[in-house]
Amino acid sequence: MTVSTTELRDAARQVVDDLGLAADEQDTWALVAELGWLVLEMPEADSGLGLDLADACALHVELGRGLARVPFIAALLAIDTVVQSELPERADLLASLGSGDRYIGVPLAETEVQYVGGKLDGVAHGVPAADRSREVLLWSGANDCIALVAIDAPGLQLECSNTWDETRRLFDLHLEDVVPTCILARGDAAHALLRRLRMRRDFALAAEAVGGATSILERTVAYLGERQQFGRPLAMFQALKHRCADLKSQVEAATALLEAGLAQTASAHDCAAAERAGLAAKLLANNTYTHVVEEALQLHGGIGMTSEHDCHLFLKRAMLDEHLGRGRDAYARMLAGGSLYDT
Amino acid sequence: MEQSDDATGALRREVSAWLRDNVPGAWRESMTGTAQESFVELQRGWFQKLSAAGYATPHWPEGWLGGGRSLAQQKLIFEEVARADAPRLILYFVALYHAACTLLECGSAEQQARYLPAIQDGQIWCQGFSEPNAGSDLAALRTRAERRGDVYIVNGQKTWSTMAQYADRCLLLARNDRSGPPQAGLTYLLLDMHAPGVTVRPISQITGDDEFAEIFFDDVEVPVTERVGEEGAGWAVAQATLASERGLTLVELSQRMRSALPRLADAINAAGRGDDSALQDDFGNLLARVDATCALADRYLHKRITGEEGPGDASIVKLFYSRTLREFTLLGRRVGGFTAQCERGFMRGATQETGNWPLDFMNSYNWSIAGGSDEVQRNIIAERMLGMQREPKDWHTVERI
Ligand SMILES: Cc1cc2nc3c(=O)[nH]c(=O)nc-3n(C[C@H](O)[C@H](O)[C@H](O)COP(=O)(O)OP(=O)(O)OC[C@H]3O[C@@H](n4cnc5c(N)ncnc54)[C@H](O)[C@@H]3O)c2cc1C
Repeated sequence: MTVSTTELRDAARQVVDDLGLAADEQDTWALVAELGWLVLEMPEADSGLGLDLADACALHVELGRGLARVPFIAALLAIDTVVQSELPERADLLASLGSGDRYIGVPLAETEVQYVGGKLDGVAHGVPAADRSREVLLWSGANDCIALVAIDAPGLQLECSNTWDETRRLFDLHLEDVVPTCILARGDAAHALLRRLRMRRDFALAAEAVGGATSILERTVAYLGERQQFGRPLAMFQALKHRCADLKSQVEAATALLEAGLAQTASAHDCAAAERAGLAAKLLANNTYTHVVEEALQLHGGIGMTSEHDCHLFLKRAMLDEHLGRGRDAYARMLAGGSLYDT
Repeated sequence: MEQSDDATGALRREVSAWLRDNVPGAWRESMTGTAQESFVELQRGWFQKLSAAGYATPHWPEGWLGGGRSLAQQKLIFEEVARADAPRLILYFVALYHAACTLLECGSAEQQARYLPAIQDGQIWCQGFSEPNAGSDLAALRTRAERRGDVYIVNGQKTWSTMAQYADRCLLLARNDRSGPPQAGLTYLLLDMHAPGVTVRPISQITGDDEFAEIFFDDVEVPVTERVGEEGAGWAVAQATLASERGLTLVELSQRMRSALPRLADAINAAGRGDDSALQDDFGNLLARVDATCALADRYLHKRITGEEGPGDASIVKLFYSRTLREFTLLGRRVGGFTAQCERGFMRGATQETGNWPLDFMNSYNWSIAGGSDEVQRNIIAERMLGMQREPKDWHTVERI
């Protein structure tokens, strides 16, 4: 982590702490825009800050710690894709996206959209806060096409996914013969952009998971230090200490893997290596998050099962997160696929 | 700091070319079920070459042959050595890490000048910390060091001392004072294993090898000049030794584990199970964990270099390495099946990545027991890093009722 990344992280931690856990979506969004986080990765030529993915992920970690309700991952993914594109109205679009006036949703889960005869068909899953967006960025992997679609386009229907996790507010988009507002890229260019988008989505989700896991572990350790049974703090019982120590080593490992992977995206121009690092980071971060939170619930005892306690917010986020990105089972298999072969 | 791509590429070419010409051939075959003499010969010959080329000590500081390397360069050298499938220098492991790090951190200028070049010339060291009644509770050790004029007289017994039967010197932790708290009365000595009164008895291990030994001391004289740190300050010096074992060594070991992944993939493919989705899941998860182990070890070393090391950092690396290594060898055991159970030959110097999965699995316990067991690391992480309250130390009063 460079000095500026550390400063950014510390500032973000303060902001997220002040907002409180799972704070209001609108308030948080306003703050995110005001702090300039939306222009973080925009090139300086486009009046952005010109920072990189590692810096963005430092923010994702902090927002993940606070279970922030803002669709920040989707917002940054859309902005990066527009930056990379050659849209004629690129400059205007970036200005309104950077100020937070306009938000473009992006699916956080795998989608099954087809682009045939100039029209999009299928279902896009997991678009956060789609009801607040004016457009949504969609793609067809099979047809090598990335498009912007107006949220009120004829043939497009929004359906709130109503997941157990209420902090992400995900929507399904049902598309029937929808004509896109514009095509961002086609063919090889779309293929490359899509790889980039998925890689960045993996890192962003990994970062949020690392933040969430760190936070719930800290809360659990603090609780065990305060809660007394058998005339002593529970933290004194070695059976519980050892479980926390294991969790700590796992969280540290996921953090180290994330940071090493991000360093790779910054230094090397090797796209495949960055992609692989993103897969590994996402896989380990989500495995760690779910495991930490499952243990946390147990270690809190009855209080952890109440709706007024915060434990369940982390549990529900973690349960959802492992299915986002490329899907629950894709990561390990893609990683293994590099060395194993079908007979 | 980090090298440019060009400079890194040049170093990589230099090291891999050197390794191509110098790594002993077919050592796996020649070391399987072999006699000790040929093991020592192989290790000595390989060490001499590697050390002379400066590649045995990339983790040493500037001023020493091969030292002063950046983190990126150290990793690169370890990576290439592992990739070339060179035998691991287990005979020199304690000398290169434990002894060197202790001397560099706590030794006097004369001690450094005397021993560090000797280590690069192939002096073999062992670590004499554990005793029959002092394992995890190291501070309970009883081996005595009594000051008599300008020598210490050492009496007692050490155990589980790796490669002690070949060692020239021993990093000895002994008790000079029994009156105070256990940690207070310890003194750290550099003991000559060829001195009169030293007896070594190798211990047969579950793998068929005998990598560790008991050491008996019977009125062994150690000159006061061989003391590291002050009399009674041995505990602090021992922490330097243990920290090197828990953190620093793992940059090399995690690189070796990563380099051994293709062996596991080969085994899965050879068993015709590359399309078994359960195995794909487990192998993919293992890949991520192995990468994370390397990332943790790198981060630890970086923190050490920049002086940011905190309490428990080394324990995190060691614990995660040991658990990942266990999973690695377990997966191998699963894939190896019945056939692997029939391969009895042990391989000297190969440690835990031979591809003989039951053997590798058994050897993986080295890392969950030695150098502070997993449980001890967990205690350290929980109490010193997470700040969880210590248990009251009331057993002695209970016991004596
Ligand atoms: C392959 C190998 C090489 C070694 N090489 C060396 C060497 O070169 N030099 C040297 O000095 N020593 C060496 N050792 C010794 C090693 O450091 C000790 O084995 C280790 O410290 C554990 O001590 P012990 O064997 O007495 O086990 P014990 O301390 O008796 O522990 C038995 C079990 O109890 C657990 N336990 C102990 N205390 C606690 C606690 N407070 N809380 C929870 N659980 C606890 C342990 O984790 C372990 O599972 C080596 C050991 C091995 C296996």
